[in-house]
Order: sequence, then structure tokens, then C-alpha cells
Amino acid sequence: MRFACCFLLLLTASPCFAVEQPAEQDRTKQILNEVDDLWRGNSSYAVVTMQVKTEHYTRTMRMEGWSKGKEKTLFRVLEPLREKGTMTLKSGNNIYTYLPKTDRTIRLTSGMMMGSWMGSHLTNDDLVKEARLEEDYDATISFEGMRDGRDIIEFTLIPKPDAPVVWGRLLLTILARDYTPLTERYYDEDMALARTFTFSDMKMLGGRERPAVLRVVPADKPGEFTEFVYETLELNIPVSDAMFSLSRLKQR
Amino acid sequence: MRILTLASRNVWRNWHRSLVTMLAMAFACLIMIFFSSLMEGMMQGSEHSVVAMNMGDIQIHAYGYRDDPDLYTRIEHPDQLVATLQTRGYRATSRIFGYGLLAANMASSGAHLRGVDLTHEAQVTELNRHVSSGRWLDDADPLGVVLGKKLAGTLGVELGDELVFVGQSSDGYMANELFRVRGILKSVSDGIDRMGVFMPMQTLRDLLVIPDGAHEVVLIRANRTDDLEAETAKVQALAPGLEVKNWKQLMPVVARMIDTAGVQIIIMMVIFYIAVATVVLNAMLMNVFERIHEFGIMKALGVTPWQLMGLVLAETMIMAVLAALVGLAGGWWVSNYYQLHGIDMSALAGSISYGGIAFDPVWYAAITTDALVQPVLFLLIVAALAVIYPAIKAAALRPVQAIYFR
Repeated sequence: MRFACCFLLLLTASPCFAVEQPAEQDRTKQILNEVDDLWRGNSSYAVVTMQVKTEHYTRTMRMEGWSKGKEKTLFRVLEPLREKGTMTLKSGNNIYTYLPKTDRTIRLTSGMMMGSWMGSHLTNDDLVKEARLEEDYDATISFEGMRDGRDIIEFTLIPKPDAPVVWGRLLLTILARDYTPLTERYYDEDMALARTFTFSDMKMLGGRERPAVLRVVPADKPGEFTEFVYETLELNIPVSDAMFSLSRLKQR
Repeated sequence: MRILTLASRNVWRNWHRSLVTMLAMAFACLIMIFFSSLMEGMMQGSEHSVVAMNMGDIQIHAYGYRDDPDLYTRIEHPDQLVATLQTRGYRATSRIFGYGLLAANMASSGAHLRGVDLTHEAQVTELNRHVSSGRWLDDADPLGVVLGKKLAGTLGVELGDELVFVGQSSDGYMANELFRVRGILKSVSDGIDRMGVFMPMQTLRDLLVIPDGAHEVVLIRANRTDDLEAETAKVQALAPGLEVKNWKQLMPVVARMIDTAGVQIIIMMVIFYIAVATVVLNAMLMNVFERIHEFGIMKALGVTPWQLMGLVLAETMIMAVLAALVGLAGGWWVSNYYQLHGIDMSALAGSISYGGIAFDPVWYAAITTDALVQPVLFLLIVAALAVIYPAIKAAALRPVQAIYFR
């Protein structure tokens, strides 16, 4: 589901501009919009397997997720049994976690935002910020042409001066042919590579070819990764708003 | 001529004047003893606030833990290490730590979980006696936790309220548990006040899946007067491959503050003692000048200058010794009272904290041998020095002028 979010981020990157020439700006916007369209519908349902490998443990988790618009996302853990039923609800800027063991819902505070989400290499902050790239970043096309034998387009996303982000810069690479995302690199405020998202394994998902695997590798620990594998993805399905309400968390 | 007999008779003969002089000296001695023990108490109290609540004298960690407090950076076989340290006369305990989110109602806060070995911890620190409401931990109540003061405020919880913990266990799964507030601590240190959640060690081991190892071993040296540096080196020899640091190395800012306070105290003592010396000198001078006529008659009767000097000196020393005894008794009594009861500064300063450590707002005196002996010795020396000038003055008197001196 997180996967979906990451894709969303691409699409949301679209309405970022601030380029001098209007033509160039339109084109950036248009391409990013198409990348967006590739991944986002008005709503979605997906089943994703998440594998986390760190120095100390390797674990696999299967979860399902729903999204509606940019602001509402809900994940539910299916496997393993020990964590089954754990839910994460993102609604606007807030993240809530429902824990079946204690039957309690808690809201994550700002202090927890940089903490790991479900033991993965993603943070809770990633979940919140994913749909807000257009607000926080300016996008430009920084490279177009052949690289490593592929015709690609590279976007550079620079945070706006007062944006509350922890990254110094984002580099997004897509295939020029069909605007399939390839990699996304996050640089920290010292402009050193912090982590890399890699998209791979084209598969039929939600009615067309999309990368089914997203791998996140932290730059400081190259031996570790979090991998998301899409099993199913359905777009533009009817999802009720009530699904994303706090009161519903407990009832499931 | 029996100087001592004569001197004591002289003291007695003019008991009124002698009494005033002795009272001045005794009072000075009492004040000096009280002042010394208060200052000593401040030094000891500061160190105590740092060491006895949480720090301990010496802490042992696995290398790297202090820079990056990671669940996996643990001391292997902490029980063995603690046992070894105990046999060497140290009081030691082990602790494990974890981080996560603690929520109550709709409020939540980051929390630093501290798993405590209850039997050993009580021998090392005084946290168990530092609970402001509720009770300290009990192994029989594994889910009852004790919170730092500010954390309880942030979460808006009171005794008996429910707390939800969410975090990550060492095997990567979600750690999740319901706790109850069993106690709330008084102010300890900034970190503990804001984030500290204390629980029995086994509870935390189960919660975060840490079957063995510890993150920290804390110890207190057997004797507070033992040299801290030397003890640190000894402990390092017992804990090879681990990082051993004493509290002065761990809290350099606070250690320096206490050291500078020591220098300030010495400066204040010097100023204070000079004032006392002036009082004694003044009393002795007045004593001699009042008796110039009497000394003139003695000289006329054939008392030599040396005998006269000896006489004045002997009188002074008799008074000084008596005054010192009275001052010692009085000073001891006053200091002892404040050693037991303390001066409560909380009305003036509220809670006192420096460098992230909360200091006890009640200021206790501390009676040490130095605080008792030094003022007495000083008084005797000052009296002896102060009387030199009047004594010479008396010895050098010319009899005829002195007899007619009015």
C-alpha cells in the first residue's frame, strides 16, 4: 500500500513548477501528471507484501490497503498472524495506528514521525508527506536522453524555501517511452545520497503494465532493504469515506 | 613567676571583659563551623543529586551505545559482571532500555523505557524513594510502570490510568502493551522527567524480545572518599572490552560546575575567616589597651617584658581555648540540626536544575572532621597572631608613663 503511496508521490510531483519558460513548465507538469495517472485513481485497493531485511532481522508482512483521493489511506496487516489486524490510517496530516493486541487506537505525534513505519525503512513522515510533493517541492527536468542504454527523463525536485521537509533534493528517473518510474533518489540536506527507491518487475496490475516491485535501500546501510511487492491493484473502485474514519478502525 | 596561674586569675578577675571577648570568639567559631558544614553539604548534596538518583559513580556500556543507543548494542552476561563487581565491594545493577511511543487517551509522547533490576537497583540508586505520588515498581505488578514527572504531565495521566505502548521489538515486530501508571517520580533529570518510563526488567525483556544482555551497568563505589579516577581504572580492568566512564566524564558540565563551586567556597571561606580574625584582633587590642595602667604597675614591680608578653599570650590562649570549646559545641549542635532538617530552598527557587540534572531543593549541612577541626585551629592561630601586637605593645611599655596613662 505504501507502494501506492510512493507512486502517488510521483504523480503528485506533477503540479510542481516554477520553471522560467512556460512551455517547459507545461511539459514538466504534463509528464509528471501522466506518471501520476499511471498510478493513481480516485480510489484504489491493493494487496502488497512487504519484506524488510536489516542487520538484525528479516521479516515478511502481507497487507491490504485502500486509498481515496490524496489524503486518505488505510492499511491492514494480513500476515503474520502475530500482527494480523494491525491498521494504519492516514487521514490528512495525521497517522493513527490501531493495535488489536491492546484494542487501542493511537495517534502518532510529531516526535514519532521520523520513526520507522512497521519496522521498515520508511518513516511515518513518508506516509504523510507522500501526497504533498507539489506543495513542498519545485520540479524541473534535469536530464533527458540515453543513459545506461535507456531513453530516460530525470526530474529534480528541490524543496521550496520554507517547506517542512528533511530532504535536500529528490531525483526522479522515468522511462521516456511510457513514463514508467525507474528510480527515485533522496538526498539529505548535505546533498549526500540518503536512500534509493528502485522500481522494477513490470506486471499487469490494475489493467495495464506497471512496476510491481519497489525496493528501498538506505544509502548508509547497503546490505539492508525494504521491498514492496504488489499482488493486486484495483483502481477507481467505489470506496466509502466512512472506511477512513477513526470509529471504523476498531470495528474491523 | 607562675604565668599560667596569674593568667587564669587575670581572666577570672575581670570576668566581665573576658566573657565578652570569649563570646565574640566562640560566636565566630560557631559561625565558621556552621558555614563550613553548609558548604560541605552543598558540595556533597550536588554530587549526591547527580550520582544517587540515576547516574551512579561509574557506568559501563558496550562500545558505541552512548553515541547510538541501539537495542542491539548490549553488554553480554551482565549478571556475571554485576556479581563480579559485587564481590569487589561495589554496589552494581544492570539496566535495559528501549524507545517507543506511549499514548494515553488521545495524547501521546515518545518514551524511553527503562527496565530496572529491582533488587539490585535499590542498592545503587535512590529512585525508589523519589516517587512523588503512587509507589515504586514491584515485580509482582509487571505492568505497573513509574513515569517521569513531565511525561505524566504531557500525557495528562494520573495514578491508575492506562497507557498504551507501541514500539518495535528487537526481532522487527510491533511491540505493543497496555500499562498502568503505578507511580510518578519527582524531578530527577531532564531526560527522565520528559521521557522516562520505568518498569521491571523482565517486563521490558518480554516486550522488546531481549532475552539476555543489558544496555547499561551502573555502580557505586564502596567508600565515597575513594578516588574516583582510580576506581574507574579498577572497574575497567574488571570489564574488559566495555566502555567504562565515571560520572565526571559522563557529565563534564555538572562536574565542572561542582569543581568551580569548590573554588568559590574556598574564596568565601578566606574572606569570612579574615573577618573573624579582625573581630578577634579587635577584642584582644581593646583588652590590652584597657590595662595599660595595670601593666605599668607590674613593670614597676619588676616584671620583665618577656614575662609580660607571656602573660598576655597565656591569657589570650586560655580564653581562646574556652571559646573554641564553646564554639565547637555550639557549631556542632547547629550543624547537626541542619544536617538532619535541611534548609528548604524550594520556596525561593522552585526546582533547581543545572546541566539536565535536578538538584535537591533542600540544602543539608554536612559535618565532616575538616568542618569541625579547621575553624577551631584557625581560631587558636588567629588569636595567637592577633595578640602578638598588643603583647609587644604591653612589653614595650615604659612603666612611669603607663602608670599615669588614663
